[in-house]
Amino acid sequence: MALKGLDIFKLSPKKNCKECGSPTCMAFCMKVAQGAVSIDKCPYFSDDAKAMLNEQTAPPMKTITVGSHKLGGETVLYRHEKTLVNKNLYAVAVGTSLSAEEADKKLADLQKVDYERIGERMYVEFVFVANTQSDPAVYAALVEKAAATGRDLVLECWDVECAKAALAVAGKNVILDGATPDNWEAMNELATANGVALGVSAGTLSDLYDTVKKLEGKGNKNLVLDVTGKTAKETLANAVLVRRTAIKDGDRSFGYPSIVNIARLAKGDDHLQTAYASMFTEKYGSILVMEHMTYAQALPLYGLRQNIFTDPQKPMKVEAKIYPLNGADENSPCALTVDFALTYFLVSGELERSNQPVNLIITDASGMSVLTAWAAGKFSSTTVKKTFEELDVANKIKNRTLIIPGKVAVMKGEIQEKLPGWNVVVGPLEAVQLPKYMKDKEYEAAAKAAAAENAAKAATTVEVKELSFDELLATKVPEIKVVDMGVKYKGHNPESPTFVTIGERIHCIAPSIRKAMDERDPEPILKRAAEQIAAGATYLDVNIGPAEKDGPERMMWAVKLLQENFNNVPLALDTANKRAIEAGIKVYNRTNGKPIVNSADAGSRISYIDLAAANDAICIALCSADGIAKDNEERMKHCHNMLERGMSLGMEATDLWFDPLFLVVKGMQDKQMEVLEAIKLFSNEGLKSTGGLSNNSNGAPKTVRPIMDSALVAMCMMQGLTSAIVNPNDLRLMETIKSCDIFKNHVLYSDSYLDL
Amino acid sequence: MAFTPKTAPFSGKINAVTLGTGDKAIVIGGQNVMPFYTFDAPIENAPKIGIEISDLAANWDAPALKEFYAGCTTMVDYAKRAETMPGADFLCLHFESADPNGANRSVADCVADAKAVADAVTMPIVIMGCKNIEKDGELFSKIAEALQGKNILVLSARNEDYKTVGASVALAYGQKVGAETADDINLAKQLNIMLKGLSINPENIVMNIGTAAVGYGFEYVASTLDRVRLAALAQSDADLQMPIMSPVSPDAWSVKESTATEEDEPAWGSREERAIDMEVSTAAANLTGGADAVIMRHPAAIATIKKFITELV
Repeated sequence: MALKGLDIFKLSPKKNCKECGSPTCMAFCMKVAQGAVSIDKCPYFSDDAKAMLNEQTAPPMKTITVGSHKLGGETVLYRHEKTLVNKNLYAVAVGTSLSAEEADKKLADLQKVDYERIGERMYVEFVFVANTQSDPAVYAALVEKAAATGRDLVLECWDVECAKAALAVAGKNVILDGATPDNWEAMNELATANGVALGVSAGTLSDLYDTVKKLEGKGNKNLVLDVTGKTAKETLANAVLVRRTAIKDGDRSFGYPSIVNIARLAKGDDHLQTAYASMFTEKYGSILVMEHMTYAQALPLYGLRQNIFTDPQKPMKVEAKIYPLNGADENSPCALTVDFALTYFLVSGELERSNQPVNLIITDASGMSVLTAWAAGKFSSTTVKKTFEELDVANKIKNRTLIIPGKVAVMKGEIQEKLPGWNVVVGPLEAVQLPKYMKDKEYEAAAKAAAAENAAKAATTVEVKELSFDELLATKVPEIKVVDMGVKYKGHNPESPTFVTIGERIHCIAPSIRKAMDERDPEPILKRAAEQIAAGATYLDVNIGPAEKDGPERMMWAVKLLQENFNNVPLALDTANKRAIEAGIKVYNRTNGKPIVNSADAGSRISYIDLAAANDAICIALCSADGIAKDNEERMKHCHNMLERGMSLGMEATDLWFDPLFLVVKGMQDKQMEVLEAIKLFSNEGLKSTGGLSNNSNGAPKTVRPIMDSALVAMCMMQGLTSAIVNPNDLRLMETIKSCDIFKNHVLYSDSYLDL
Repeated sequence: MAFTPKTAPFSGKINAVTLGTGDKAIVIGGQNVMPFYTFDAPIENAPKIGIEISDLAANWDAPALKEFYAGCTTMVDYAKRAETMPGADFLCLHFESADPNGANRSVADCVADAKAVADAVTMPIVIMGCKNIEKDGELFSKIAEALQGKNILVLSARNEDYKTVGASVALAYGQKVGAETADDINLAKQLNIMLKGLSINPENIVMNIGTAAVGYGFEYVASTLDRVRLAALAQSDADLQMPIMSPVSPDAWSVKESTATEEDEPAWGSREERAIDMEVSTAAANLTGGADAVIMRHPAAIATIKKFITELV
């Protein structure tokens, strides 16, 4: 295994002396692990520790670079364990045994496959040039032709003189696939002198291993292993054993990328080559050599490769643009959806099945599905407007019908407002309903109605200027009536070490709360607040939804409503609308604790830290940027980035509450311990932490969830978690938290501690 | 220092499940190593290939496929011809036309077809439905009843209908039952537990852990296969040791790469070749991940996968 920043940290002096220029030893070690600074910057690391690190920091498998391509560098055997890093590349074989015409034709044909799929160029990256004769001039002539294609080259040549001649004309982006147990010394000199990677092959794995050891002894680690055997069966065994030895057993002498010559294993049988190439895509081929690459082969093979080498923790995205389907032109209606690849395939497939011309507009939603993106504020009228401007949709398309996904019918009004010239229509809930919907032209009547509505509105509306918070407060926020709910918030001392629970139940995803927010109806909100306070919540989270239109007055109303009714209960302000958070803080009373900004992350929401800093608020900081962090190395990198930003803006470190992002057991069971370790890392650095803990049991039966949540909260508190966003009405969970606070000596024990 | 590879079988083992009767009966599963890892231990039973015969097969328009089934009109004709296809191990009768939102063919007609085929062929039979839960429930139960003693496999019981399908197919009529989930290892395990909870013998269960054509979210299939197999073998999880059958052809033949005409995509070349390679690649990727049987359609694709399996086992 590659050495992590945290492993380096264990060997570090842990003095936090800052002489290296980093604020803490931990931060320094993280940078060393990323290769950003040299370990020599620290004067206190012992020589023994340094030597050990140099040995151990080498990854289990080398990354070999040829031209613009990277090969190898894998750290796991299966993609679900983490991710596969460098996709396999394709080569097409030519050889000196071919006639000049045959070779020319193959070189021309291999360039025909060249297309884009989900943002990735699909083409044959290498030409594999095999030499089976002894005249250097003949081989060099073929290599020169191959090089003229502009593709990188694999030169399979065991004859030293021929190889020399070939390298003279081949350029630099070359693998010299020529070392064997017999000629390795001469080939090594040739490859080293020319600065190219050296391919090694041998009759048995044992001979291959010995030859690699000898080459490494000469200092050459720029190697690629040709694992092709006599049969497909032997080749699979070689490919698996080489990779397994490197990754699982940690023997770096087999930690190199591989070449698999499929053209040789299934000569003359293109279909069988497709089958083998599919297998070696999944099982450890780095360069796959094919006899041809037709579109029929390329379409499935490149599609499979793109699937297998996607990062399991990062969603696959398609490009945000206008996709004209079924011969659509500027007069065809438009349909809108998000850039999550599976959504795109599903929606475009169903639209194509309808045979109706339609312009599918894909908007940037960070690769999330429709509802997830909406809830996260990544699919909103603002993002849609931005996409329309960036793509210049209004000028490219004359038709003004815009069909939005049925699942986000709530966005209709907002989108209509942001795109005044368009007639916004709510489409079906599910993609499968699209063919019928399009064929029956169900959208036409709705578009007409929308147009009429727009016309009526245009006649009456007047421009309103943005009001200041004071003006909004005076004119738009209804007066708060204090109602006796029979519950009193008992107060909170911000200095107390006890676990902070943030009640999650005032959330716009609940229809009753959404309606109450829309209508400024206090009752449902007060009811849920009272229940949570009675159950012992420390803070209440107030999620007002994306609230693009009236966010500030909504938030001011909600904050005043809750605080005036419940003895200034402290609140977490939760919305993607930053101005709404600011407005909420303006009317916030700090008696029982600072307001919490929910939430910042290390990516597009980093500026929420600035907002918290400017308003002396606590900020929940999600340790993620684009999707879930792939490991604790990345989590801690995000954590330190946000910590640095907050502190440079004058925040107290303890006002940043780091959220490791709790992951769902059903799906990410093998990552649970990592999340727990992350909490320990925060705690070791004296940092506070929080998070949506109950996400772990999402999708589990209702009867099981409280048990899972309670078990996890106990484990988390052991690791040093200081807060969680929870449902306080889960009695088992709250009792577990109270009990853990007893064991942690945060609260003095008495027989009735549960009732306090 | 000589290199000696570390090779060893796992302690866990995939259940061996027998389909069909007599000389043509087949066994799927039985191995204790990852797919095709013959260097760790021999593969007990080579993966098997089933031939998809749809009751909408008359609409199949790929020239060589049409040619192979030339003159066939009834499902029996198709089935008898399919038995002669090189590489065929079993037959999969796909009752697509039962779909109430499609042709809505009656259960009685479908059962009659299944019965006629079963009387005319000797290969094991697998039944696929129309994906409509209610219709499939009735169809599966009636076919299982009509084909008692044939030891057929019914694909599949799902979370919504496992009680009725499991009870009728496996318990009442003694057939094998498929457990179908969509690319989710936790659901796959749960469904097997529920089927076992009905007192169905684990040796009578086959899994379909979800399908996709390559390029269309196949990463979910690949990772589910990896995880299911590692759980079954490395962790000896008895609730995931059922063999896996992957219906490849319905997905492979319905994606754009296989359906776009040559006029629409002139650069792509022969549509039939594209569909064959799509089917070959999807089948090979499933087998490499852990499928113990694949269901396929085109003779050229089936010949290729047969060769692929023979070379690797």
